[in-house]
Amino acid sequence: MTGRKLIMTFPVTATSHLLADYKARGGYGTLERALREMRPEQITKEVTASGILGHGGAAFPTGRKWGVIKPNDGQPHYLCANADEGEPGTFKDRWILENAPHLLLESMLISAYALQVRHSFVYIRGEFDLPYRRLAAAVEEAYAAGLFGERILGTDFACDIVIYRGAGSYVCGEASALITSIEGKKGYPRNRPPRLTVRGLYQRPTVINNVETLSNIAGIVAHGAEAFRTVGTAKSPGTQLVSISGHVQRPGVYEVEYGYPLAKFIYEDCGGPLGGGKIKCVIPGGISTKVLTAAEIETVTYDHAALAAAGSQVGSGGMVVIAEGTCMVRLLQVLLRFYHHESCGQCTPCREGMGWMHRIIDRIVAGEGRMEDIDQLIRISKANDGTTICGMGDAAGYATVGIIAKYRDEFEYFIEHKRSRLNGRLEVVQ
Amino acid sequence: MIEFFINGQPVQAEDNQTVMQAAKANGFFIPYFCWHPQLSVPGNCRICMVEVEADGGGWLDIACNMPITRGMRVLTDSERVRARRKETLQFITLNHPVDCGICDKAGECTLQDYHYEYNGSPSVSRDAKVHATKHYPLSERIVLDNERCIMCTRCVRFTREVSRSDALGVQNRGDHSLIRPVEDGAFENDPYSDNVVDICPVGALLSRQFLHKARVWYLKPTPSVCPGCERGCTVNIWHRKSEWKLNALDQKQNARIDRVTPLENPAVNGPWICNKGRDLAQIFERARAGQAMLKGRPVALQAAIDSARTLIGAAKHPVALVSSWGSNEELAAFHKALRPRFSGYVKPDWLPAPGERIEDKLLIKPDKNPNGAAARALFPALPADARSAFTPDTDLVLVWGEGFSFAHLPPNAKIVYLNSWLQPENGHADVFLPISVMTERAGHYTNFQGVVSGFEACFARPAGVADAVTLFAELAQPVRAGATA
Repeated sequence: MTGRKLIMTFPVTATSHLLADYKARGGYGTLERALREMRPEQITKEVTASGILGHGGAAFPTGRKWGVIKPNDGQPHYLCANADEGEPGTFKDRWILENAPHLLLESMLISAYALQVRHSFVYIRGEFDLPYRRLAAAVEEAYAAGLFGERILGTDFACDIVIYRGAGSYVCGEASALITSIEGKKGYPRNRPPRLTVRGLYQRPTVINNVETLSNIAGIVAHGAEAFRTVGTAKSPGTQLVSISGHVQRPGVYEVEYGYPLAKFIYEDCGGPLGGGKIKCVIPGGISTKVLTAAEIETVTYDHAALAAAGSQVGSGGMVVIAEGTCMVRLLQVLLRFYHHESCGQCTPCREGMGWMHRIIDRIVAGEGRMEDIDQLIRISKANDGTTICGMGDAAGYATVGIIAKYRDEFEYFIEHKRSRLNGRLEVVQ
Repeated sequence: MIEFFINGQPVQAEDNQTVMQAAKANGFFIPYFCWHPQLSVPGNCRICMVEVEADGGGWLDIACNMPITRGMRVLTDSERVRARRKETLQFITLNHPVDCGICDKAGECTLQDYHYEYNGSPSVSRDAKVHATKHYPLSERIVLDNERCIMCTRCVRFTREVSRSDALGVQNRGDHSLIRPVEDGAFENDPYSDNVVDICPVGALLSRQFLHKARVWYLKPTPSVCPGCERGCTVNIWHRKSEWKLNALDQKQNARIDRVTPLENPAVNGPWICNKGRDLAQIFERARAGQAMLKGRPVALQAAIDSARTLIGAAKHPVALVSSWGSNEELAAFHKALRPRFSGYVKPDWLPAPGERIEDKLLIKPDKNPNGAAARALFPALPADARSAFTPDTDLVLVWGEGFSFAHLPPNAKIVYLNSWLQPENGHADVFLPISVMTERAGHYTNFQGVVSGFEACFARPAGVADAVTLFAELAQPVRAGATA
């Protein structure tokens, strides 16, 4: 077991995602209570007090994001669930969309009430098929049950929801690119200021939260911030859905309470590395977070402060286990190919830098590397750090610097001998 | 007003100004590619990074999107800023071909200037550059070199925010991004399309008119006024510098209009002009009339002037058709010298060409003559039915400028014709006097708003051609004894 659970609290069956089953579990009761008994500000206060951090990757305090919105300032506000789950290694939101779509919808309705939102959106990744069909069916069920539209549950509250399918761009998972995409434009991120909570979708204050973050709202409102804070650690309250993949016995989505020992999670709960091998390193939260070596994960617990102290992040909870024998040069090549392919091309450092790094690593793998290429990769990474419009340039740099810092000898060997010191595979043959 | 500090000096800024705007207004230079005072802020080139001093180190961010807070301390040229600019220029030149030797923009290229000013070191890349389309035809007028393009998107924003044709967009992503028309031919219908050539900070967008025609450092801009419509946009007419005249080559190259660019003028046209203004060469490089004539018989200019003077002296009811292309000076000279003798009407020298845009919300105005407003302040406009300007006893008509059919003239009246162009009517006039065009003299035009703009001479007046101001004074002289028509 991976600690207490807040989201994966029910057994998944053939009907557990449907409205009837959700209602049988007590679903939409919190919404009813919130609409009838709570004022919008009270909900925001409760969310702020819960200390919940964003689960999309940046771990921004949700309460602070919501606090910028003034519910009665006379202009429309928008709420958008970010279901454009595209960080490689991450597939946790997919679990919610497939198995608990009504949890997301109830939470969004409560959030919409708190923020006085009339129109809410779900921006869902275009490649998601089953999650989209499940969510769309759930929205239809909810509309039929009077949970969306005018006079929800007989109150004055009205809210509509639109599911918007993305077209497959990684950058559209970035909040400002996401709203630009909803507006029908090319998915380019926007410069800050202004923050999206000041001027976002259609130039109005907009709150964009990750699916998992939003799905926690119903629980926070139902049981109160105090109860939520008892789960997890003081600085990282709650749980994280971790999607674990790679060279691991039992990959999948696990709900992990913050503060749970990372080594225990990987070795016991997930069965340890494939084929009885050894773990070389772990990417803890999506490929944009820095790798942790097998020695480093021994002592670390799974929460924001501990991972930051170890030099990495919780990120998006997309954990990738990498077994001994994997070539880190080839691994970096795969990562940089991804970043090159997904750079939107709007701002200079990322547009030019991603392709440049990709060409360099391709050349190294082709046996035409030069020793100065390693420092060149670090130089390009640093030139992308904090200089781009969105965080993608930084992220590629973190991944690159993280891998080179810990496995520089493998790169030097590859360049010198024109081949990998290992067998050069990414897959471990059992 | 907000006070803040740039490089330690106190600076006053308006509310809502960005650091870039305040710096520019106060004489501090921050380099920029994508920012443009008339366009929205995309913040994509990242060259305008400045340092904000703060306790515990400070931070870098782009000046074009940085709001000013009271007392903030900005450094535009610190060690960190210089290092950052060098890195950014490494990125910008990474896939830029640096083919300045064959690039029309060389000599006035922002990237060239910044490279010398802020980088100066060779590329640290050892990898091949990304290749892209060369000479992509964006329209009949504009070609695009995608390899030179640095994706500042000024052209895209221009079509969305200024010309409003929405003709351009960005295709693909990453370092494969390409500027493209949103659909085939979309850019053809934008009457302001050539402005993107000027606002392109590099040599990616090229005017076909000017393509490989001249190096800009051999050319000189002469301030002028576009005569294409009553807006009277101020322009620069670019022609060869006298010290770079080509004696060995075709002499026409020394006296041709190489290109026309806007001369920024907030009172009239801002930094833009329409494509008609770019095509002034088509107006001014038509075949010129250089020979004075009497009924088609070539005579010396002075003899023709004497004949005209005699005719004017003899006429009892002369009518003048005044050119709406005459400068304020010429109109004043005509008014002073000949108004007492003539009843005058202002004639439109140019009417809208078939298919030409008549009017829009940006610049283009319906009267296709530059000085109609000033002329109509002195003389009434020619009636719609031109014949009603004449009475049966009209015995002389002085036609000044082109665009009037002699078929409308009373059959018995004598015709004195002043024109610059080689046209069939010239030979039918009783007296034909060739006059200079606006590129051969200085003067002023008054536009429809009453704004007066000056133009200067680009080229020398050809031999045998009169200057209208002196000509009108001469025509008003009493007839000399012994002179005959």
